Amino acid sequence: MLVNFDNAATTYPKPKEVRLAVNNAVEMLGGNAGRGGHQLAARTSAAVFSSRETIADFFGAEAENVVFTLNCTAALNMAVKGIMHDGGHLIISGMEHNSVARPAAALAIEKKIMLSVADVYSNDEMTVDSFRNHIRPDTKAIVCTYASNVTGQLMPIKKIADLCKEKGICFIVDGAQVCGIIDVKLSDGINILCTAGHKGLYGVTGTGLLITDGKYKIHPIIEGGTGSSSTGLKQPDFLPDSLESGTMNVLGAISLKSGIDFINRIGVERIRRHEERMCDIFINGLKNDKRIKIYRRNECEYVPIVSFNISGVPSEKTAQLLSEKGFCLRAGFHCAALAHSTLGTDNGTVRFAPSVFSREKDVIRLVKTIKFMSF
Amino acid sequence: MKKCVISMQSYTHAAKAQKLLSGRGIEAALRRNEQSTEGCGYSLVISIDCDTVAKILNDYSIPFIRLRNEVK
Repeated sequence: MLVNFDNAATTYPKPKEVRLAVNNAVEMLGGNAGRGGHQLAARTSAAVFSSRETIADFFGAEAENVVFTLNCTAALNMAVKGIMHDGGHLIISGMEHNSVARPAAALAIEKKIMLSVADVYSNDEMTVDSFRNHIRPDTKAIVCTYASNVTGQLMPIKKIADLCKEKGICFIVDGAQVCGIIDVKLSDGINILCTAGHKGLYGVTGTGLLITDGKYKIHPIIEGGTGSSSTGLKQPDFLPDSLESGTMNVLGAISLKSGIDFINRIGVERIRRHEERMCDIFINGLKNDKRIKIYRRNECEYVPIVSFNISGVPSEKTAQLLSEKGFCLRAGFHCAALAHSTLGTDNGTVRFAPSVFSREKDVIRLVKTIKFMSF
Repeated sequence: MKKCVISMQSYTHAAKAQKLLSGRGIEAALRRNEQSTEGCGYSLVISIDCDTVAKILNDYSIPFIRLRNEVK
């Protein structure tokens, strides 16, 4: 039997209500949302709008400011390139996933923007000061992950938000590892929140979200059919249409609504507590094993993700051996070279990432397997 | 019988306006635009005068393209 502890990449299994909602959508919602007026299009459009409303309520946004995207990477590309399209200075953190680091670097390499990377410390004040010290008169945006996808370290998001507000800078947050685990609201000072739909929100793969407070105009990076203002060649300038060209992933949108309904039924706090308990069992089971290094510091706060290594064993080899025993864990660099550089993990790490469906007995079995593993 | 036809910017704005009005006891039909210089889009058709609807939408900052009173 396979046990998934790679939920930071994508959650599996999905809740029963998500599976049922997607099945129902395949059967009943065969129209093209926001296009056409016939009955099939109308009921599909209404279902997508309902999903948009549920998401808006969950994050404290207006429905029209919820943009469906392919994934978190697409949302972050849209946010970074859309805000920086006419140049300026951008600051990102040293904990960013490649979904932020690469589009930012691409713009900098093409000399379209100036880019700075703020160091991340275990002390929040030092991290905020690092951002502050990089701010220049032409700084247009700060992008920061809410929590590292490698270690789960939480960043001082509210303090960075206050800094952005004070300086009149657009604050873009990568919420991929926290949405559904932490109660994230735009009112925390986030101007643009980008997140995956298929992780903690329990939607299907191929879903992501860009949610904005509307304060900063996001220039579209993709133009096309929106089902509105069709006679003009100019892309509509209003949300969500300006950022939602082409036929949308209706099944994905429906899965997100039922995923969020599931989270609301269980409760974000309860989900986080369960996953933290799984992490505690994992850490406590391994912390006294001298061969194992766990990448956590007492002074930091974490979301339920644990990165570790076994001394002298490449992370990919550890993950491969665990896979042969039926445990799915992600090894390597987790598409986050900047974060691994910050951590000094030159050979990557193995990442343990539970979900609401993870079971204590499976974590105990995993711990025993790691402890008695021979290389 | 009087009715108001409101051309909306997008389906999302139309659906949001429809829900807002419904919460105030005003039922609106969401229809595809029959006549529009902008091209594809959606309208709300409501059996009251446009001034009342315009005030509600303006109060809640829901944008619309135009309103048209019609007599059925």
